[in-house]
Amino acid sequence: MTATVASERIKAPLIPPSTHRYADVIHRLEAGGSMLPDTPENLKQIIGIYKAYAVPMDFYWRDLLYIAERVFLNPLPAFKYFISQEYLDRPNSYAGDQSQLRIWRGGEKVHPELLEFMERGETGRMSKLFHHLWHDRVNMEFAEACMQAMLWHQGMGGRFNDYLESDAYKSNADRAIKAYFKGNPLMLGLYALFPDMFLEQVRQLSYTANLGLFWEVMAPVFFEMSDIYDEGGFKGVPDAMDFLVNGIFAVAGRPIYHHLYIGDECYEIIPKSEGFTWLYEAALPYVEAVFYRTAPFRGTKSYNAQAGQVPADQADFHYGILYADVFPVGSAGIPPTLLMQDMLHFLPPYLKEIYREHRRGEEDELVQLGITFQRSMYNVTSAVIQALRCALLYPLDDTNPEHLMANRRFFEAQMDRFLRPEARLPDIQSQDYR
Amino acid sequence: MDLLLLLLIPLLAGLLLPLLPAGSPWVRRGALAAALLQLLDGLWLWQHPPAALSANWLPRLGLRLELGLDGLTMPLVLLAALLTAMAVMASPVDQSRPRLFFALMLATNVGLIGAFLARNALLFLLAYELILIPTTLLVATWGGERRAGAAIRFLTYGAVSGVALLAAVLALGWLQPGGLNFSYTALADHNLTALQQRWILALVLLAFGLKLPVVPLHGWQPITYSQAPTPVAMLMSGVVSKLGAYGLLRFGLEFLPDAWAAWSPWLAAVGALSAIYGSLNAIVQLDMRRLVAYSSLGHMGMLLLALAAATPLSLQGVIAQMLAHGLIIALLFCLVGLIELRTGTCAIPELSGLLNPQRGLPFTLGLMLLALLAAAGVPGLAGFVAELLVFEGSWVAFPWPTLVCLLASGLTAVYAIRLFNRVGFGRLDNERADWVSTSWGERTPALVLTALVLVAGLWPSMLTGFSETATAPLALRSSDAVTVIAMAPATVNSAQLPA
Repeated sequence: MTATVASERIKAPLIPPSTHRYADVIHRLEAGGSMLPDTPENLKQIIGIYKAYAVPMDFYWRDLLYIAERVFLNPLPAFKYFISQEYLDRPNSYAGDQSQLRIWRGGEKVHPELLEFMERGETGRMSKLFHHLWHDRVNMEFAEACMQAMLWHQGMGGRFNDYLESDAYKSNADRAIKAYFKGNPLMLGLYALFPDMFLEQVRQLSYTANLGLFWEVMAPVFFEMSDIYDEGGFKGVPDAMDFLVNGIFAVAGRPIYHHLYIGDECYEIIPKSEGFTWLYEAALPYVEAVFYRTAPFRGTKSYNAQAGQVPADQADFHYGILYADVFPVGSAGIPPTLLMQDMLHFLPPYLKEIYREHRRGEEDELVQLGITFQRSMYNVTSAVIQALRCALLYPLDDTNPEHLMANRRFFEAQMDRFLRPEARLPDIQSQDYR
Repeated sequence: MDLLLLLLIPLLAGLLLPLLPAGSPWVRRGALAAALLQLLDGLWLWQHPPAALSANWLPRLGLRLELGLDGLTMPLVLLAALLTAMAVMASPVDQSRPRLFFALMLATNVGLIGAFLARNALLFLLAYELILIPTTLLVATWGGERRAGAAIRFLTYGAVSGVALLAAVLALGWLQPGGLNFSYTALADHNLTALQQRWILALVLLAFGLKLPVVPLHGWQPITYSQAPTPVAMLMSGVVSKLGAYGLLRFGLEFLPDAWAAWSPWLAAVGALSAIYGSLNAIVQLDMRRLVAYSSLGHMGMLLLALAAATPLSLQGVIAQMLAHGLIIALLFCLVGLIELRTGTCAIPELSGLLNPQRGLPFTLGLMLLALLAAAGVPGLAGFVAELLVFEGSWVAFPWPTLVCLLASGLTAVYAIRLFNRVGFGRLDNERADWVSTSWGERTPALVLTALVLVAGLWPSMLTGFSETATAPLALRSSDAVTVIAMAPATVNSAQLPA
């Protein structure tokens, strides 16, 4: 199923030019490119930020799985971000020699830069608790915000969300809850009184596992992209996008599951046998929820997600990173301060150099970094769009004009989502947007 | 000689600066050094009160070089010296035509200090007129896009003010029983009839009402303050306008107490009108400089109310308000200037999100919030002490105008919050936000003024200590306003005022 977009690039147009407002971007996508213009600086920026993102992500996925599989329904989860050594040492499933299916390099253990940061932070060597209280740590709050966005929005395709309402799931969850609280009459009594409340918490933990499994794949992808760039491997933005598209197809079938471990015993809340796969049950809902929609709160208006009040209408949600405005005080969107603060610790020198040369230099690195992140996520979204086109439609070098028109309609429909004024697509077309 | 030094330092510096090579950094540094030296001299004189200086200059015209410092003028001299130094610091390092600019700034300072030190009405007039020329040139040469119109209007109003003051001074001098004498001592001890006093007071009110200014004589103020370069606006709003209040206190209240007492209800009404007019106009302004200008107009109205009430407490309030407002308004113009320097505009609708911690001007906006709170009279800041004295002192004499002024003071919070909300919050425009943050050098004058606003708020005697004994003899009404103290020719003269 692996596809190489570069090889599909069309030579001559067989269909008339698009009249869409983003016709230039659409033509670029049709030529196998990305929504992000292909410039050396764009390439440098996105690879640099992938590297800076991958290091905290290496912590995010480990801790998310730790929370979903071990912390579970702990009523006082004060130490859920104090990941156990077992999960810190856990080899990546798709990277390194110890992986189940080696696709990418490295990944045997947690990234050394992350270990170094966990040891010292910004402040220096001190107790883990002080690092935590001082917020001198990886901000798991960001990862949880992403997970909650996926949980809240629901209905983003796939079968995963529907399965959470199934009898099979409820039965598995019930078994896990009873096992987890075995010997704890207080919690079991509460469970008997408020079973839906506990079930809802388990659903949230299932999405926690889902996101953890999604990021387990993405972290080594970004690490390897950084390594390849350092070795002089990528020649342009489309190469980077192709790598992502290939990565998506390489692990598209990765099982998405939710296991609970109590001691050595494993309780399968969502068993692998249900056949949930990485691309349709994790990657696409993640992109939809996090890149496009994010928090289901808009100003003073809020929705009761549990009551199913979160509307699916996209007009109500435009807070994802593709729309995020990094400028207002108390900004909406992906909590920019938290994620950007995490990435700030791991910026490669060449990216720091770019930031030093523009705007306020080191003083506004967080904003420049946020905009770089926005560029990079437009590239990831481009990869997803190309992957979807590969999976659902026709090759870019197809000679049938009808097929090309179908591709065109697909691309135009995708671009329609960026017609709203908040979209940053027009901004990232200019290198001066910093 | 000590008193003369206050004048000679800026005078000599102003004369020497143009001799320095063009583009030399020592022009700005020299101007700053002169202003700081003068401030140090002023502080030294505060602790070591000097003897009055008196010497003949043109005796046939009644012009004598009579200089002195008392409780009324000491704080104003210090304010003038301080704000000159801050204004020089607030000027850009790459100031265009710096030799002429700083020479004119120092000339303005000489005029201001001369007017405050003068103990002779003709000498005061000379200093008063001297200020008009350099300030007009400063506005006309370095002002904004509409500088020509602003300078012409300022000059016209200033000339009318000068002519009115000349007529008043000549009338006061010529009507002296002992022959031509413009000494303050002689002017305070006259035998003018009530009608004569009222005619002269009309001229005095016209002269200083224009300078202060108050409604309806304020036509020059919004455009001049909005078009003047930042350092000049700081100096004009901070000190030059206070010369108007000082003139009313000296020439109106002290020299013409009967007429002042008779007209004081009308003056209080004009003060209240100015206060409410200034505040309401400030609310609707779309330009930060004009907003600050109208805010100043409102506060000058409160000054006039306190002068009209002329109780011991309100007169203390006058001095306190002159000092507090001088610091606050200079701080506001300084901050507006910084914002304009970075963003290229003062237009409120064009600015937003300046509190953004990464790309905005959070430090400048933070200080602006403090300055606006001080202007609104929030406790703990300089404005509170001054306004409390003004209102408490005036209430007993003119309760209704005081209530109107209280309302106007409350409206200060409205335009302050409106400005802060529009400029500070909201979305910062990435296209516009391509500026570097302000440097510590640029922030220094604002920081110094902020510190003084804070200190004065926490240590109110800094504002009132100067004047407590100096203003009491000038009171026309007792603190309960039941007794009108002075309805006869004044018996108090400046020589009796404690230093």
